[in-house]
Amino acid sequence: MRVTNFKKINNIIVIFSVLVLVGCYSGKEKREIITEGTFLYTEEIRHAEGFSIDYYKEFTKVTINNPWGNDHKPYAEYYIYKSGDNKNRVLEKGKYAFYAPLSSLIVNTFSYFEFLNLLNELETVTGVTDGFRIYNPSILGKIERGLVKDLGDPFNPNIENTIELNPGAVINSAYAQNDSYSERLLMTGIPVIYSLEWMEETPLARAEWIKMIAAFFDKGDIASHIFDDIENRYTDVKKKVEGVGKRKSVLAGDNFQGTWYLPGGESFNAALFRDAGLHYVYENNYQRGSIGLDIESVLTQFANTDIWLGCEASSYNQLINKDSKYRLLGPVNKRQVFNNHNRTTTSGGNDYFESAIANPDLLLSDMVKAAYPELMSNYSYSYIKPLN
Amino acid sequence: MLKMEDQKLKNKTTIFLILIFLLIVAFIGDIFTGNATISIKEAWSALFGSSGNVIVDEIIRNYRLPKALTAVLAGAALSVSGLLMQTLFRNPLAGPDVLGVSAGAGLGVALLTMFSGTALYPFIQIMGNMGQVVAAIAGATLVLLLILVVSSRIKDSITILVLGMIFGYVASSLITILQSFADPDSLKVFVTWTFGSLGDVTLDEMPILATIVLSGILLTIILQKTLNSLLLGESYALSAGLNIKRARIIIITIAAVITGSVTAFTGPIAFVGVVIPHFARAFFGTVNHRTILPATILMGSILMLICDIVSQIPITNRTLPINAVTAMFGAPMIIWIVLKRKKL
Repeated sequence: MRVTNFKKINNIIVIFSVLVLVGCYSGKEKREIITEGTFLYTEEIRHAEGFSIDYYKEFTKVTINNPWGNDHKPYAEYYIYKSGDNKNRVLEKGKYAFYAPLSSLIVNTFSYFEFLNLLNELETVTGVTDGFRIYNPSILGKIERGLVKDLGDPFNPNIENTIELNPGAVINSAYAQNDSYSERLLMTGIPVIYSLEWMEETPLARAEWIKMIAAFFDKGDIASHIFDDIENRYTDVKKKVEGVGKRKSVLAGDNFQGTWYLPGGESFNAALFRDAGLHYVYENNYQRGSIGLDIESVLTQFANTDIWLGCEASSYNQLINKDSKYRLLGPVNKRQVFNNHNRTTTSGGNDYFESAIANPDLLLSDMVKAAYPELMSNYSYSYIKPLN
Repeated sequence: MLKMEDQKLKNKTTIFLILIFLLIVAFIGDIFTGNATISIKEAWSALFGSSGNVIVDEIIRNYRLPKALTAVLAGAALSVSGLLMQTLFRNPLAGPDVLGVSAGAGLGVALLTMFSGTALYPFIQIMGNMGQVVAAIAGATLVLLLILVVSSRIKDSITILVLGMIFGYVASSLITILQSFADPDSLKVFVTWTFGSLGDVTLDEMPILATIVLSGILLTIILQKTLNSLLLGESYALSAGLNIKRARIIIITIAAVITGSVTAFTGPIAFVGVVIPHFARAFFGTVNHRTILPATILMGSILMLICDIVSQIPITNRTLPINAVTAMFGAPMIIWIVLKRKKL
């Protein structure tokens, strides 16, 4: 059929021209900005693997590593200058020029509020997403007074309001998938600071990302000191459980639509269990994400566990009413169940998802107190609390 | 006799002029509407020169203008595609997605989202923003090829319609399977795509979309006579000398290509394609494609622009996805048509 062939060729031409256009896609115009310089030294990063900071005479370079590609090309490179025309810009895709200190910021991830707070730069936040789910009282107050704009859905923030705010940068979590919001920002010339702190597997590694954001404010030294303190406090708590004889066993996660998601052995939570001196059935598992188990396996494997962290209920009654099978779990019988709702707001905000990242020592203390209360008699729970 | 036809022609011309006027008004209205505080004067000067404010220029020229253009193109394309489907299958409920092409596009995007975190990452990253477009077109093309293979062997149009719907269901269930394996973030990325969005096509990409849509519409205009004869039934069309199989293939291909391309750029947008042909027929009181086709094109663009204006209204800080608005407009419209009109 001649006409059919024509249509098919038409299709092929369309797809081909699409690909050609993609190939011709060029980023923003390059300006006269130097990206080569005299190397001085590299910042000491002891735990985090997702970023590195190199100091040059002319600028500071922050590199965000790419965990997905196998060619070792970085996910993003930031060149931070101390002086210049003060217009943060996109040099080309993946390369950005910044002038420290950042003066306005849209934050599209909850993890950075506490980092900014510790660095005394929370004032620079001009926009957030998912405003109703924020815990940080200072930000909430500013949203109410109209000083901080709520841009809506974190996966689909309001473009016009973003452009209108004209921020110095937007902090966005980085994903493997192409993110149309980031693409739009880059096209508009607003640089995006990508964060991969959520991919780090240990609490100290995640907390160390404070150094990453500090570079944009030229506060590298301050961040270093803050992190040293955090690390010391964490190690102090960790030392407390070294003398423990018999380790308590732990269950985590909860039932979600018939599947129970447990932390993998190489996950963030598993690292906390280890440091808290807890025994975990899957501690030798290789997974960095979650293990999805069916209810029956959970009930059999955790029938004699000592404590349960991260339950979704607030009281034992509520738990049993939700599903009477929970009664078969060890921690429920022993009344040793805890949830993460100690610091929450009525509209769904939970500090566990905000400041906990900068306070790994408190996270660890919470766990140790839950498991071995006698070791933490002078400490009260920060993020978790026992069910009533 | 001549006087009545004269009168009819005058009426038609008036209505068309009104429609063209409405299109221009809706287009400009869409550019003036948005969440940023921009006065009409600023918006006007940004369009034709500079408003003096770089940010306003950016929003108007690089966001609202392409969005309005996309609305015009998508509205026209989907409505024409719906009209083609309704004529070919003589089914008033047929729409652009009746052949499963939109579901195929969705499957392409779901696969892309699913595989982004794997070893295919470098290949996917090169395409950048166009990755989604390419994946959607690939998925739509696959379904189209399946339909074409099937339709070359089947005599009965209704069978093709049913098979197209089945292909659509299969694609949807594959998407569900992919979603069940996905992590929450990939899931949210994909679901956000299914909300539909008119604002993602840049001025650079606009020529591609425009070329495809306008070519498809042009071909449809050329096919007017064929479409009219199909309306009278396939046996009549056969006796009038029409090659049914060939006509079917051409019509299906045009509809699939323009639907697939629009879906690739905007995500799936429902209802517009089904509703507008009915409205065109109702307003002009005829089923003759010489009148209905331009009417469908104009009305489709106008409706999409109106839906876009409505979707900008902020509701607790979020704006409605375009799909929700077209459904809210489309559903009552369909009910009204079904109740008011007897048979179209």
